[in-house]
Amino acid sequence: MTVQQVVPSFESVSLDAALDRVVASPSLAPFAEEVIGFCSDFSRAIFKDSEAAYYPELQALAFWMRKAELVRLRDAFLEERRAGASLVPQGVAFHIPPANVDTIFVYSWLLSVLAGNRNIVRLSHRVSPQTEILCRLFNAALQSAPALSTSTLMLRYGHEREITEAISARADIRVIWGGDASVNSIRTIRLPPHARELTFPDRYSFAVLRASSYLEASDRRPIAEHFFNDTFWFDQMACSSPRLVFWEGSADRAASASADFLNLLQQHAVRKQYEATPATRMARFTFACAEAMEGGASSYQDFGQFAVLGLDRYDQLTREHCGGGLLFQYRIAALDDLLPFVSRRDQTLTYFGFDRAELAAFADRLNGRGLDRLVPIGQALNFNRFWDGNDLLLSFLRYVYIA
Amino acid sequence: MEFEQLLTLRQFSLAQADKEAHLTPLLNGLTAWHRERCPQYARLLDVIYPHYSDGQSQAARLAEVPFLPVGLFKAHRLKSVSEEEVFKTLTSSGTTGQQVSQIVLDRETARRQTAALSRIMTHVLGPDRLPMILVESTSLIQDRRRFNARAAGVLGMANFGRRHFYALDDQMQLDRDGLRAFLDQFGGRPFLIFGFTFMVWQYFYSQLAETGLDLSNGILIHSGGWKKLQELAIDNAEFRRRLAAAFGLTRIYNFYGMVEQVGSIYLEGEDGLLYPPNFADVIIRDPLTFAEQPIGQPGLIQVVSVLPLSYPGHSILTEDLGVVHGIDTSTCGRCGKSFSVIGRVPKAELRGCSDVHAAMVASAPPAAIEARI
Repeated sequence: MTVQQVVPSFESVSLDAALDRVVASPSLAPFAEEVIGFCSDFSRAIFKDSEAAYYPELQALAFWMRKAELVRLRDAFLEERRAGASLVPQGVAFHIPPANVDTIFVYSWLLSVLAGNRNIVRLSHRVSPQTEILCRLFNAALQSAPALSTSTLMLRYGHEREITEAISARADIRVIWGGDASVNSIRTIRLPPHARELTFPDRYSFAVLRASSYLEASDRRPIAEHFFNDTFWFDQMACSSPRLVFWEGSADRAASASADFLNLLQQHAVRKQYEATPATRMARFTFACAEAMEGGASSYQDFGQFAVLGLDRYDQLTREHCGGGLLFQYRIAALDDLLPFVSRRDQTLTYFGFDRAELAAFADRLNGRGLDRLVPIGQALNFNRFWDGNDLLLSFLRYVYIA
Repeated sequence: MEFEQLLTLRQFSLAQADKEAHLTPLLNGLTAWHRERCPQYARLLDVIYPHYSDGQSQAARLAEVPFLPVGLFKAHRLKSVSEEEVFKTLTSSGTTGQQVSQIVLDRETARRQTAALSRIMTHVLGPDRLPMILVESTSLIQDRRRFNARAAGVLGMANFGRRHFYALDDQMQLDRDGLRAFLDQFGGRPFLIFGFTFMVWQYFYSQLAETGLDLSNGILIHSGGWKKLQELAIDNAEFRRRLAAAFGLTRIYNFYGMVEQVGSIYLEGEDGLLYPPNFADVIIRDPLTFAEQPIGQPGLIQVVSVLPLSYPGHSILTEDLGVVHGIDTSTCGRCGKSFSVIGRVPKAELRGCSDVHAAMVASAPPAAIEARI
């Protein structure tokens, strides 16, 4: 079978031959010099590229892959190793990134290659300028990294099950990003008995603000601005973007904090010239109407760039969402009121006005009910190796016990 | 003026100010009617349009009548009648996997729809049923599994003709002999041709353009949208020009309508623009603010109609884009707004999160992550 290879070079190749090449190439040691060197070259190439300069997500990626950050990751790895075990690569990793998030495949590949794995990445047919730039720079950087060149394969294909089957049969670890439907569908494809799987299904995220702290803040504008970035950077479609805002405090304090906050948020959205598309706007209005009819919504405010549905109760919330700037809003008397609300689907809680000790105690009381990240407002979208309850770096490694 | 009077009055005869003065109280009445009978609609008003939640407040102007987004009729079977009163449920034609609208009709609403459609059609067809060519195959309406809005639309139109001739076979091939026989028999006097716009172009015009067929006594009524023809760079004016040149066919009436408001169709005038009948109207809204657009500014089309009693669909914001060209300024003797439909709102390309298999699993909610520092 012939497939479209994108990395290490752009050409049609035989699937079996390409897989044989990757599987036969040796694993590198975790954090091998060649890999660190390649990654920092790749990062520099992105920073220097005039086309890549147009895309903030590419700049963020390059920043995340810069030498200093890689060294920090290596130090973390060395510390794990000192704890009394040998850490070795899993082997061949098969990455299935989401079809239209252009940088995920690099993050997924990066943590895996640092662990020493050989990597196969499936790219979708949705060709974006961002992906094209990344693959072009990637292939150029591979010129001076022969070992990586033979152990890396990126293929562009659609939903041909037989290709996913052939790759899965050779994988030691499979990583599925992006949604319940894809996880369910790809999971029906068999892996070797020893292989592991990391899945990233649909998630839900929300923000909690302490009304009194908000009202006492000397400058409230940055709070709204950070919230804006968390929410609107990807039209509220990122699963770590908040969709529901909890105000903690008395009814009047919550009401005045909310009014002030939404006003500042709107001003910032106007300043940033955020504009949803008409289709997104319609989807949002339709969703709001449906929630008004059948959900627990009791009020609706349209701010243009975004809209707010007030809840009287949260037990009818389905956690379905339209994205595009729709916020649910609900008041709680104390943080612990969230304990019965939180479910396994909840991923990120962004907060303002709570200290770490309170949040740590809250996480302990949740005891696994849900939530994988509690981060300050403004950090919802910051990717790191701890994601969805996993340490991604360690997930790409195996422990060898030595007595 | 009541609905029946608006119906019997000569269509397209009300000046806009007059029309709004008649329609606004009737629509206010329908808002209250559905509020009492459809609990979901009442809840929606309470939350989305709280100034109507007392059940007393009324729209002072036509543009103030609360509207529902057309997408709401998908996944929600909204009705203002009891289940026993349901006469039939209309569904929109959707491709596999797509959610379809469900429109609940009782006998009275169905009767109003039929009467309304008839009043509009007889305006251009005259009172007599004409011999009729349908640019369709009989299998469309015989195959019950595929019976959908398109088939229902064809059957509804068939009422306005007699001696029906279905011009296509199952393979969408034109029955040329049958067509000649039809024209030999009926071509000397007015006859009716009906079909969906793209079908008329692809399977009728394109196959007959070179034959010099005389259709000058024909009246063509067509609908269904211009999307496929836009891809061929054929707009309404070109469509009319080409049919006139090929067949001498000049009486051509396009119409705009939807399953969510059957009976309220917007028929083309001789000037090539669309006109609302007496009992319905359009309002063009800014796609982002939903504010009413001035004349000449394109936007989302809101349709209002006094027909729907069995479901709360008297005021619907569609996902179609259109533009009002003038009000009471028609050159073809019609009063009210003259408008045209531009097309559908372009589909949103979801950024950020999406499903690997979004293309395969149409209804899958998007989710994943994106990274940023």
